[in-house]
Parts: sequence; C-alpha cells; structure tokens
Amino acid sequence: MRIQLMHWRKWLVIFLSLIAPIGYVDAAADLSLAYETIEPPSIRLGESAIIRITSLDGYLDDVPLPRVTGLKFDVVARQQGFEFVSGKPIPSSYVLIRVTPEFTGVFTIPGLTPKSRTLGLEVVAAETSNPLAWRSYKTTPPPPPPKATASLPKGAELKAGGAAFVRLVMPTRPIYVGESVPVDIEVGLRPGIVTSLNGLPTLTGGDFTLNNLSRQPERRDEVYGGNPFLLMTWHSVLAAVKPGDFSLSVEAPMSVKINTLSSEDISIAAKMGAPFLQSLYNAIKPKELTVNSPTLDLKVLPLPTEGRPKDFSGAVGNFQASSDITPAHPAAGDPLTYRLHISGTGNFDRVDSPMLSELDRWKTYPPKSSFTRSDAVGYKGEKLFEQPLITAQTGEQTIPGLGFSYFNPNTRRYERAQTQPIKVAIGASLADSSTGSLADAATLRRGLRPDHPASSDSVSNLTPLYFQPLFLTVPATLALLLAGSWFLVHPSPERVNSKALARTLAELSAAARSGDSASFFELARATLLHTFATRWRLPPDQITTEEFRARLGPIAGDFERLWALADEAKYSKDLPGTTDFQHWLALIRAHAAGEKQ
Amino acid sequence: MRRLTLTTLMASLTLWTATTSGQPAPASTPPLTAQQPRATPQPHEPSTYSADDLYNLANSYARAGKPGLAVLNYERAALLAPNDPDIRANLDYVRTTAQVPTDPPTRFTRFAQAANPTAAAWLGVIGLALLGTSLLASKATQRFRALWATSALLGTFQIALAISNALLLRPRMHEAVVLINQTPARVSPVLMGDTAFILREAETVTMTAQHEDFVLIRTHAGRTGWVSRANVAAVIP
Repeated sequence: MRIQLMHWRKWLVIFLSLIAPIGYVDAAADLSLAYETIEPPSIRLGESAIIRITSLDGYLDDVPLPRVTGLKFDVVARQQGFEFVSGKPIPSSYVLIRVTPEFTGVFTIPGLTPKSRTLGLEVVAAETSNPLAWRSYKTTPPPPPPKATASLPKGAELKAGGAAFVRLVMPTRPIYVGESVPVDIEVGLRPGIVTSLNGLPTLTGGDFTLNNLSRQPERRDEVYGGNPFLLMTWHSVLAAVKPGDFSLSVEAPMSVKINTLSSEDISIAAKMGAPFLQSLYNAIKPKELTVNSPTLDLKVLPLPTEGRPKDFSGAVGNFQASSDITPAHPAAGDPLTYRLHISGTGNFDRVDSPMLSELDRWKTYPPKSSFTRSDAVGYKGEKLFEQPLITAQTGEQTIPGLGFSYFNPNTRRYERAQTQPIKVAIGASLADSSTGSLADAATLRRGLRPDHPASSDSVSNLTPLYFQPLFLTVPATLALLLAGSWFLVHPSPERVNSKALARTLAELSAAARSGDSASFFELARATLLHTFATRWRLPPDQITTEEFRARLGPIAGDFERLWALADEAKYSKDLPGTTDFQHWLALIRAHAAGEKQ
Repeated sequence: MRRLTLTTLMASLTLWTATTSGQPAPASTPPLTAQQPRATPQPHEPSTYSADDLYNLANSYARAGKPGLAVLNYERAALLAPNDPDIRANLDYVRTTAQVPTDPPTRFTRFAQAANPTAAAWLGVIGLALLGTSLLASKATQRFRALWATSALLGTFQIALAISNALLLRPRMHEAVVLINQTPARVSPVLMGDTAFILREAETVTMTAQHEDFVLIRTHAGRTGWVSRANVAAVIP
C-alpha cells in the first residue's frame, strides 16, 4: 500500500513538473506571442496612423499606452480573428491604437509588448507630399466588403509562399512604335504576411516607357482561394521605343514575414498545440524580396513609311478633330480665339498642329495648347489648340478648316481628321461698341448746331501744308532764289559812296581828336579831291587851283587854304598853334552832303 | 537787277497759283444727313476732305450716339476751318456730353489759329517773298526806304504767324481719338498684357510709338499705355 502511495506521489511529482513550465509559458503567452505594426509609417500632420497589436494566442489583455511627446494614443478597437500562418488558421486578438501627432517630426514609439521592437513614425507638414503615406485613415473611404471567394486572376501566379502576386494586364495584339497602350498593373498582397510594399512596381527592360505610376493606386479587398488579399491596381500607359519582339514583366519590392522553420517542424509544432506555438512564432522573420509577374510576349511593329503624310507628327491612336471660334459675332479689331479640338485615344504628347500660320486679311498669333485627360492615365482626352486672330475687315469671312494626320493602329493606316471651314461675320466694331448707345444719342442730338450746306472747297490731304514735302520745296526754293539774288544784286553807287564818306568822316574825327594834323589834312584833301572828281567827272589829278576858282567861285579860297595847310603839315609833320579841326570838318561834311544829294 | 527781283516775285506767285488751282474740286464725301447716317460708321477716309462735309459727317455720328467718331471728324474739320464757330461749339458740346476733359485754348493758340493752316502756310511763303524782296530792293536802291522797311516788317510778321501755326499743329500730327468706350490701355503691346488704365470714348490722346497692332499713347494727364490700333483713329490719317 505504501509502495502504491509512493508510486502515486511519484507520478504526481512528475506530472506537476511537466505542468509547471507549461503554466509559465501560458502566463507569459500574452507578452511573447504578440507583435505590433504601425500603418502607415509616414503621415501628414492632421492625419492619424494605426498601431495594430496582434496576439496569436488570444490572450491579449489590456495594453498600457505609451507616452511620447507630440503623440496622442487612443485605443479605438479590440477585435478577435484568425491569423493564417503557413496556411493554418490561428485564433488571434487585435488591439487597434490610433496615433495622432501634434507636430511634425520623426517619432520613436517604444514597443507596447515586452519583446516587440520599437516603431517609427514620420510626421510631415500637411502640405507636403508624402510618398510613403499610401493609406490615410482620415481620408480613405471605408473599404468595400470582401468579395466572395474566387480563383486567382488569369495570368497571376502566387509568389513569396503564396503571400503575393504581381500581374501585368495589357493587350495581346501587336503594337506600334510610339503607340500608347493602356496597361494595368495588379499587385495582390496577403495582409499580415506582407508587411509593406517597398516601392512602386517597375517594368523589366528598357525598351518601353511607362507613365509615372500613381502613389494612390486603386485598393480593394479580394479573397482568392479562401485567403484574403489586398489588391492594388495601377492604371498606366506603356509605349514601345523600338520595334521587335520583347518579353515584358513587372516586379514589385515588398517585405514578407517568412517562417524560417521547415514544413516538418511547422507541422509538428501545430500538432503539439499551444505550448509549442512559441517556437513556431519565434521563427517568423520579415524578409525583403521582389515579386515578378509572369512574362508576357509583345510584338512591336514599326510605323509604316508608305503613305505617311508630310504633316504627320507621330500621333498614333484614334482621333477626331473639330474647331470653333469665339466670340461668335466679333467686331472688327476684336481678338478672336480660334480653337482646334482633337479628342480621342492615343499618345496625345505627339499630337501637334501648326494652326493658322498665315491667313489673308487676318493677323495671326502663336497658338497655345493644353490637354485635358478623360481618364487617370491620359490615354483618353482632348487636346485643345487656341490661337488668337484679329481682323480689321468687316463682313462675312471664312476661316479655312484645319487637318490633322495620325496613324490609326486599328485600321493600320494613316488617317486624317479634318475640320470644316468656319464662316464668321465681322461686325463694325465702332458701331457696335460705341458708348453711345441710343440713350446718349438723344442727349447728343439736342445741343448740336445744324449742318452746313455742302461746299466745293476741299483738299486731298489733311496733313497741313507745312508738313508736306512738296509744299516745303516752295519756300525752300524761294529762299534759295532770294539768297542768290542778294549776292547778284549790286548795291547802288550812292549807297556805296555814302558808306565810304561815313567811314572817311569817322577817320577824320579820330585824327582831329588825336591832334594828328598831318593825317587829318592829308585825308581831308584826298576826300575832297575824290568828291569833286566824282561830281565834276574829272580825274583827281586834273583838278587844279584854276579849276576850283572857276567852278566854286569865292569859296574856293577855303579849299586853297586847306590845300596849303595839308602841304605844310605834310612836310613839317605838324602845324604850330591851334588848328580849327571842327571848321574843316564842317566844310568837308557840307560838301560831302552836297555830293550825296 | 530790278528785272531779277520781279522775276523772283513772279515765279513764287506763279507757283502758288498753280498749287492752289491744282487742288481737286468737289469733295467726294458722300452726303450725309441727320436722318441717314452711314450704315457702317467705320472711320471714314475719303479721297478729299472738306470742312463742311467733315462737320456734317461728325454731326451725323453725334446724332447716332457715336461721340468718338464725331469728335474725330470735328477735329478734322477744325483743321481745315479752325475759326468756324459751329465746329468748335459742337466739338466742345460732344466732348462735354461724353465727359471727356477739354483744355481751353490759350491766347497763343487763338493767335496761331487765326488763319487756317493752308492759308497760313501760303501767307508764310508770301511773307518770305515779301521780306526777301524788300531786302533786295533796299540793297539795290536808296529810294522808297520806308516802303521797303514796311514790307520787310509785314513779311516778318507773316513768317512768324506761319511758324507759330506750324508749331501749334505739329503735336496734332500725332493726335488720335479713342473710338471705343472702355478701351484698355495695356502695359505691353500684347493682347494678354495687363490693363494699366481705361480710356473713354472720344478722348484725345497722343500717339508716341507703335508696335505691330498696338500704338503707344499718352493721355493729357501724362499716362502712357498700349492701345489696339483698331480702337483709336488718327486725326490726320
């Protein structure tokens, strides 16, 4: 019996010793089998990020909120669910904590569970573009309900242990060089396994161009093969740069949680139950890898040279052209806007038109163009060319239609879109735009003076005669004639003598003032001789004393005395005593005046 | 000598006579009445101009409520008949009605505009001839000095009058009338240029430069801006 008791106690001890570690493990389970993520890791100020704490054993208790300056934490939800690890469902619980920043910066959030690592959160200004914030909980509309279980899309292959797939959707027909081809790039991700997408999908190979992909792709939840997927779709346009046969694929970088245990170990751990799940989840490590889409074969054809129009600018697609003009009823001198609309599908970056370079009776200005897309990628839309025009010609005028050449890949030939000529009635600008208006006309009419009778006086040019070159030749010619005549006309002898006498009298006065009797009498005798010679029409050397007496009579004595004084002064250089210069000056002036008359 | 002087005088008088008699006769401006204004009142550029026809045309525009065109034609009529009281009165009246500021004429303006430009121009030519002949005659002979001096003085006066008239008319060579109300004066000669200020219809401005379809104008207030050529018309086309 004692032996039996001992035996029973032995088994009890063994059992307890086995149970003890399990209890320890269970006690620590809520701490060690939990991990946390933050999404998105970069947000704008005013938005919020969500910390998601996942417990894989369903024993997640209350989590103390951290204290980080500049961040505000709120528990927003507690959820129960399942996590799929290597295809096996494991009951899990989640705590969602909303993180709201109060200012910009890079924040470090300590791990909310003992073994979890710290989290980083970048907060940028509200107006700053945030390339990493591809999900905003504030602005993102609520996701649509998951669809029913479906098979993978055609052409998609699961990669990264079934956690993701990448698919390129594009036409299978041959395309032409330069042709814009709309493509869809789909990336399917298993939430919880794929922790982040580390960049935008890219094309492999450099023979194609791909429009910039949006950082806000279409997002929807799908269920493929019973597994939930987050499906992100980018719409873009692809163009080939050279002809040939190509293989095309897309790749996307991402981080995926990979279980480093072998499948056998996972299977054993799953069979062992909860106590052994610790080792199972300790083996889950994040890994960065690139997922490729299946390769597509694409044939790129060159544009045919046959039938290529001269004005072909490289536009490939299907286009329609139309034109209009505004305003519909312009006035002469008013600027008009001539618009050419080219709409359709294709590579609008190669759509170009010279518009109207020259137009008779119109003044044309350089056109401007703008493009309005109808879809997200710019494959469909309308390119608008606007050209200002001005005419001063009134009446109905016709603006010719414009043509636009392009290559249609559907019909595989060059086509031409032609607009119709536009008739426009140009009104009289002055009549239409006068302030006047009829209201003022009455006012103007009241105070006007009446009309004049028509006259026959008219001129052919309103420019004043002063500024007409033909007229200016008249005074110019007249002035030249008068100037020439001035030099040609000889002055009268009386005028000449008068001037000579005035000069002589001035010299005599000067000699008298200075008392130079020799010069005075010599000049006086010469002047009188010249005067009498002119008057009597005799040479000066033939005028003798007898001649004086015969012609002048009694006053000849004064002249004889003057002659004697002149001889005396000439030889003696001076005359003694006082000379009455004023008397002799008066005598000379009297005879000179007599000569003038 | 005297023969030469007489020849010069005869030559100038003959030239004057030939020029004046060579002017085209009746104006081809279509007769306009108050009841029948032009159907398309564009700036009218006839082959000949007559003060009365321009005045009547301006009256028609004024009655039709088009002060810009009315002022333009009154200005043109005033060039040919500056002393016509009807032209001056109607021009002032239309400007006042259109609320366009007008500058009252100065004494110098009134003196210089005493004769119409054509008459003043020929008066200046005659004055030149008179002055020159007087100077030549006084050089050739000592007789009739008072007569020559009087003639020279008269000739000088006529020349001064003509020069004053020409100086007064010179700025008008570049004057223009705004034909469109609310015409924008832009800071640059392009359609998309910013508007510097707005011009009233019938306002008179001075054109200082041009560039393609724009003219640079200066207002009485001294402001400058580019205006579409179609919105203004030069007083002297």
